[in-house]
Amino acid sequence: MDISKNDKIKLAQRIAWIAAGFALIMAVLLIANFVQTKLNKPIDNKTIPALVKRLSESPGDETLKAEIRAFDLMARKAYFTSQWQIRTGSYLMFLGIIISILAIRFVLSAKSKLNEIDKANEVAGLDKLVAQKWVIYVGSGLVVLALVSGFLSSNSLKEYMVNENIVAVEDPATIPTASTEQVAAPIEQTTQSAIPVTNENVTTDVVTPANPSETAIVEVAAKPAGLPTQSELKANYPFFRGAEGIGVASQKNTPTDWNGAGGKNVVWKVKVPKSGFSSPIIWGDQLFVTGADAQARMVYCYDKNSGKLLWEAAADNIQGSPSGMPKVTADTGLAAPTMATDGRAVFAIFATGDVIALDMNGKRLWARNLGVPDNHYGHGSSLIIYKDNLLIQYDTNRSGKLLALDTQTGTTAWETARNSKISWSSPILVNTGSRTEVILTTNPNVNGYDPQTGKELWNIACLSGEVGPSSGYADGMVFAANEYAKLVGIKIGATPEIVWEADEFLPEVSSPLAINGLVFIATTYGVFACIDAKTGEKLWDQEYGDAFYSSPIYADGKVYITDMSGKTHIVKATKDYQLIGTSELGEKAVCSPVFSDGKVYLRGMNNLYCLGAN
Amino acid sequence: MRLIKQYFLLISVMLYGTIQSFAADAKQRFPKPEFDSGYTQPQTTAASPRMIFLEYLDVLILLVVLSVVTWFVLKKRSRKGVFWTSVFSLLYFGFYREGCICSIGSIQNVVLGIIDPTYAIPLTALLFFLLPLIFSLFFGRTFCAGACPLGAIQDIVAIRPIELPKWIQKVLGLIPYLYLGLAVLYVATKSEFIICRYDPFVGLFRFDAPYNMLILGILFLAVGVFVARPYCRFFCPYGVLLGWMSKFSSRHMTITPAACIQCKLCSNSCPFGAIDEPVAETGKRRSNVNRLMTYFVLLPLWIGIGGFAGSMMHVPLSRFNQTVYLAEQIVEHPEVKNDAKNIDVRTFMSSGKSTEQLVQEADAIRRQFYLGGWLLGGFMGLVIGTSLINLSTFRRRTDWEPNKTNCLSCARCMDYCPVKKE
Repeated sequence: MDISKNDKIKLAQRIAWIAAGFALIMAVLLIANFVQTKLNKPIDNKTIPALVKRLSESPGDETLKAEIRAFDLMARKAYFTSQWQIRTGSYLMFLGIIISILAIRFVLSAKSKLNEIDKANEVAGLDKLVAQKWVIYVGSGLVVLALVSGFLSSNSLKEYMVNENIVAVEDPATIPTASTEQVAAPIEQTTQSAIPVTNENVTTDVVTPANPSETAIVEVAAKPAGLPTQSELKANYPFFRGAEGIGVASQKNTPTDWNGAGGKNVVWKVKVPKSGFSSPIIWGDQLFVTGADAQARMVYCYDKNSGKLLWEAAADNIQGSPSGMPKVTADTGLAAPTMATDGRAVFAIFATGDVIALDMNGKRLWARNLGVPDNHYGHGSSLIIYKDNLLIQYDTNRSGKLLALDTQTGTTAWETARNSKISWSSPILVNTGSRTEVILTTNPNVNGYDPQTGKELWNIACLSGEVGPSSGYADGMVFAANEYAKLVGIKIGATPEIVWEADEFLPEVSSPLAINGLVFIATTYGVFACIDAKTGEKLWDQEYGDAFYSSPIYADGKVYITDMSGKTHIVKATKDYQLIGTSELGEKAVCSPVFSDGKVYLRGMNNLYCLGAN
Repeated sequence: MRLIKQYFLLISVMLYGTIQSFAADAKQRFPKPEFDSGYTQPQTTAASPRMIFLEYLDVLILLVVLSVVTWFVLKKRSRKGVFWTSVFSLLYFGFYREGCICSIGSIQNVVLGIIDPTYAIPLTALLFFLLPLIFSLFFGRTFCAGACPLGAIQDIVAIRPIELPKWIQKVLGLIPYLYLGLAVLYVATKSEFIICRYDPFVGLFRFDAPYNMLILGILFLAVGVFVARPYCRFFCPYGVLLGWMSKFSSRHMTITPAACIQCKLCSNSCPFGAIDEPVAETGKRRSNVNRLMTYFVLLPLWIGIGGFAGSMMHVPLSRFNQTVYLAEQIVEHPEVKNDAKNIDVRTFMSSGKSTEQLVQEADAIRRQFYLGGWLLGGFMGLVIGTSLINLSTFRRRTDWEPNKTNCLSCARCMDYCPVKKE
């Protein structure tokens, strides 16, 4: 059979149309398949999770298990069928396109020997000039585009590094890629650079920063030898809420009756130059508080016996410290965290992220900025010391971490990243009998860390919201609570676990106190409650009317709790409610009482008081 | 590109080495389910690499294809021969080898081999990079004509080509330089193999790709019906290198086998606009020379401004690096740390690294981008400046000649030439 050229062309044209139509149908089917699987993914079938949930409620239901398996099999079949359809459809569509193209090429080549292109209508010579013009336009456009997008894009990493005082490194490969254990480097390694020089009775360290990131440290440290003993710490009042930070004071003969306004049993009263909500700490005859405003961040040292201001020191000229003050709320301020001392030096932290170490005479040992904490109320976590390490809970909106700074040099001994939200609570140090742990509360975790290395020992997720209260501790039990969350009793040890939960009385700012098998809770709605530490059952509650920001402190068989009006309620630490007395300060107060040598020291909104029998 | 894919994985391993080294010591993040039915889990096996013999076979086939297509172009002057060789390349390197290994992607292996002393570039990848360049240096871009599967698939669909105005061709012709610069930048910063990731045709070769990439490939082919080989001419970074080589080729194809009879038949044959017409100098010579001198003087300015503009781009450019992206996510949105579904964040959180370490790492990478931005911008400034110089230089031509840089040696023009070998 002899087929004419025209017939061949017609045949090829029909083949091209049919093949193109076939490819189009395949394309439509593929798109439909795509839309269908996007809208209703077989593997995201919601029925199976619902059935699995039902199964968790009745684990022995064999019918339900069979039903789940059947659904699962069906979902998988649907998924793989869909995959097969896509693959096969793609092949068929491609085949159609190929046939269509070949047919078209045949038609074109059969129609004309030469397949000429459609020429652009250009005038030779002029087109080069036009091209030059457009290359200049486009080149300039690219430059402008690059400059504009460069100016508009913010380098959040750089801002973060400035705020957090992070030093840049040259090569990403040189950054230590430590595991949690490696992060928790032994302290010996970080202090190797300290060269001891004997100078009469004082050992002075000439400090070489352990790494470039420590360049913020400004001065040579003067280090009295030795670490404070536990009895030394307990004899003094070195941290927020006492020697362990748990609200238990070792002092005896604590006063129960005073009146700040009337002058009754007021040994001395001084106005603190700058305001702050940090509670006092005491070592020997020296009492320390901080105060701050937009102009200066100050540490004040008073003679605890006379109230005389012995010295004051400004936390200024610190590298990395912000020029402007971070935004803080009036009820937190710039000097909310309580200081810490080991009797060799005193340490303070401010809402700017400035940490300063001063010797007992007020001479600066070192200072550094940790990066302005991103904290919408203001940094509130107080300091605590374990051996040579100043421990700082630094939970901010950006990240959470527990830091240990060498008390002598300010270098970072270790740093542990925390999977936590922002908090205002403070670390406590407890000896469980087998080891010492530093315990932190935040949202959502209560964590125990090794204070020597920073290694996380345990964590239990049980809190929520903006956590302000620190935890209480007694007899192997940790008590953590927060408003709108719950109060939990956690038995720590080899396998920490929640023993009980309660939610009737919850603190917002005040920290729980655990003593004598009792847990004391002070709420912001003015109720002071006593809970059984073993069971979580309420033993008693007393409504005083005024809110509590201050934390209850145990001393000499009594519990002292100061409300915001300045009244301190003193009750016996017993299962029954026994009020010993209520003493008024004469001004509002949010700080916690501090005890030393038969006196109670209490900071009001404006004044600092020494109270007790003259 | 399988090799390239492997090396891309290697880069990922290097970038997340710490995370993975931690994971090796840690518990399985997704433990296998335990069945009560006695079912035993099969051992996890990795796909075997391609046998080394077959890898060298690929190189041999490339060499043979290059030789054959060069023979068809230079000796046989056969468009049909070139076309069917390209169909073979499409079937073998495209559909059978699924677009991997390929010379275009091998640029990245070579750059990585230069930048990273710990990376040993495989000989096959190096040969895939070098062989087409060597052939181009002597014979023109015969690789584009018949050995490149990406070129072949576009050539087949070039049914109704139109010629684009010269200024559009020139402007779009800047893109391959930018693409090449970006590809080198992202490899040098160990961020990404962008040529492989954004290969529009590999998804078609494999019948498997994200839909957006498949659509991109189909779009290129649809455009390719009217604008011949759009990827080759306006995107291909390897084409830049081939063009540079081909410019110096001593035995480049000619349109006529003997003396040109000025019939002009070939002038409408090239769908790539790669035939230079005979020209005589137009305009006043003095103003032409002045313009040329101005462009020469402005060249350093283009380089400087381009470098500065490139350096300004280092922040947005670096966001394609996964470490930088992750660090920015965590810094700008700290709440992602609590997002159980964000696998990257979860992996980071379980790595033991602090945010500060991650930020330090990201910042160091970003500073590499700053330097890279200067170089990339300077390079683009140089390209723009030299394009202007080239557009204002005048070379007298009396015959129709292939533009050695842009000519893809497809041999279409030979079909049109009535002059036969003497």
